[in-house]
Amino acid sequence: MNMVFPSREFDDSVAAVCHGLASVEQMRSLHELLRASPAARDEYLLRVELHAGLASDPDLFASASAEATDTEVASFRSRSTGNFVSLTKHTPKQRQMVTWAISLAACFLILAAAGLNWFRHRSSRQPTSMAVAVLSYAVKAQWASAADARAVGGALEPGWLRLKSGLVQVTFYSGARMAIEGPAQVQLISPGDAFCNSGRVMAEVPPQARGFSVESPQMKVTDLGTEFGLDVNATASAVHVFNGNVAYQVASAMNQNLKAGEASVVDQAGVTRLISANPEAFANLFDLQRKWQAILARRYEDWRTANARRNQDPSLLARFDFEDLTASDWTLHNVAADGSRVPDGAIIGCQVTEGRWPGKPALAFRSPSDRVRFSVPGEFRALTFSAWVNVQGLDRQFNSLFMCDGFDAGKIHWQICNDGALDLGVQGQRVHDVQIFMSPAVVGFNQFGQWLHLAAVVDGEHRQVVHYVNGVAVSRHALTLPPPYRLGAGELGNWNPGEFPNKLPFLIRHFSGAMDEFAIFNRALSDAEILKLYSDGKPEPDF
Amino acid sequence: MSMSSDFRPLSGDVAAAQQRFLALFLRSEREIFRYVAALVPSVIETEEIVQQTAITLWEKFDAYDPAKPFTPWACRFALNKTRQWIERRQRWQALLTEGLAEELARRREELRPEWERRFAQLEGCVAKLPDDERAVVEGYYYRRSRIEALAGESGRTVEATYKMLQRIRRVLKHCIENAEQMGEAT
Repeated sequence: MNMVFPSREFDDSVAAVCHGLASVEQMRSLHELLRASPAARDEYLLRVELHAGLASDPDLFASASAEATDTEVASFRSRSTGNFVSLTKHTPKQRQMVTWAISLAACFLILAAAGLNWFRHRSSRQPTSMAVAVLSYAVKAQWASAADARAVGGALEPGWLRLKSGLVQVTFYSGARMAIEGPAQVQLISPGDAFCNSGRVMAEVPPQARGFSVESPQMKVTDLGTEFGLDVNATASAVHVFNGNVAYQVASAMNQNLKAGEASVVDQAGVTRLISANPEAFANLFDLQRKWQAILARRYEDWRTANARRNQDPSLLARFDFEDLTASDWTLHNVAADGSRVPDGAIIGCQVTEGRWPGKPALAFRSPSDRVRFSVPGEFRALTFSAWVNVQGLDRQFNSLFMCDGFDAGKIHWQICNDGALDLGVQGQRVHDVQIFMSPAVVGFNQFGQWLHLAAVVDGEHRQVVHYVNGVAVSRHALTLPPPYRLGAGELGNWNPGEFPNKLPFLIRHFSGAMDEFAIFNRALSDAEILKLYSDGKPEPDF
Repeated sequence: MSMSSDFRPLSGDVAAAQQRFLALFLRSEREIFRYVAALVPSVIETEEIVQQTAITLWEKFDAYDPAKPFTPWACRFALNKTRQWIERRQRWQALLTEGLAEELARRREELRPEWERRFAQLEGCVAKLPDDERAVVEGYYYRRSRIEALAGESGRTVEATYKMLQRIRRVLKHCIENAEQMGEAT
């Protein structure tokens, strides 16, 4: 069969080749034609070039999306394919084509590092490297012996808590809170589970700690998003569900579910009896919980008060407090008093979740499309970044905290490597000028699920970069690249991987976890000021 | 040298090298993509070849001479990857056998200077498309939506959506050619 040019058949075959739909027969005919006819060949190349141009040049579509209104953004988002929707006000030509490949570096880095990760020297500022929980609160607590005594505010390693009388509250590093009423013997096993040999405990499990489990001699109770009590004595265990659902398992039997208001008693022989939940039996623990809630509410209030002052700082370019997050509003408000320099951020994807305190909103970043986009115009001689984050895991080779788009001169990338090192990169004037400042590994399993304060100072004056965790400097580095530094368009929790869509998972570097505060200052904050940021925002009070 | 056996120490130097590599690669990526697409135009396959090329480029980055331009260096590897891709696929062999791949790559280089002004008009031409057509073209090329999803969104059949893309490309080709001529007239 001979194909001629020009012809309908030629048109259709070229289109089929572009769409990846051409049959072997079509390919053969086209082959013969292209070999025989230089005109057909030139036309073929032009059409393919047009097709390839459309597929490789996001700027062609940038002008359309740059004009998108908030409503359009929201609708874009609702049928999101995981791709980035541009919100920048830049003209298309200004926009760097930032592709999936940016994240390649991360991939390689981590492939190389994978074998080394957990053998790395642990930072010496982690005295509680084995700890799974903290003793957050106690009322008239009498411990079984002097050796069993635990201090409020102290980290708890896996092991037994033996309480003679009184009430204590343990906050697991998974975020689960457990109130214990003495006499009780509770063994802490990991951030996600415990064993109650005797006594009365009540667990309150926020969404991020779902799956938290407590075992007794008779049963294992697994939270499915709840508040439940467990009453364990010498002859039986009873689980009472006050909120949500739990699954419980007796011996090797199948899991059974209990809803709010239900309870189940299991005796030594494994016989199960369903009854109604009895909150009165846990009255003391509810009372403890109420007091603890009041303490947290006061911390939350103190933080707000401190912020009212902080927002007035003229060096504060942007502060997102994540306070007025509602499901219908995809805007993250810049609450800095002089906030006009940095427009509000646009939330793309993400879910609203609980922050450092009950009732404090936060944004959860889970999927590769989750991000907050905003733009910081201007040039700076120094910058300080501050964020409160709850890291769920370091799933990606690089996990973005705040990343500028692209690699333009002066741009900054702030992220966590998957080995737990904080990483701040500064791009110099030329492609080959780049400095990457990595802290020791400071974010690991023991930090997952906890609220952490992370900060980084880029000081062009004294030419240094400093990484901070919970108010303490963890590493200082000499900065050779001179100011000015620039930020421009950037993202919280992601790195603009969607403009050139990709399908390979390793090309993605989104953050897994939650964030409930973020700030940028246009000066280098001192060690003391960073410590104050931490102490003002620390979730639990000092005792 | 395979990546998995290449246990380089994790250090700022390596990260910096990667960032340099990426900055260079990103600037060349569109070029590499189009270079590959001239031979294997199916977008999903082009992407795959470019990604494989990127990995090879990084593996060979030590051998790259920064005094020389990056794109031609990168395109040599891209051509190899594309050849391997074609060799393993009967359909592409049927099209590109008997030296046609090399001939297309060579001819494209000759034509590119002529095309430059024409393709500069493309952005304006895309912007002039009616909304429904721009939505389809944006969905297919920019958002990389599945064709079934695009068909569903616009209430067309899959077949009709492919035809529509073909028609839009024809419109765009006329547009860039006319715009170029108009440009020459003034």
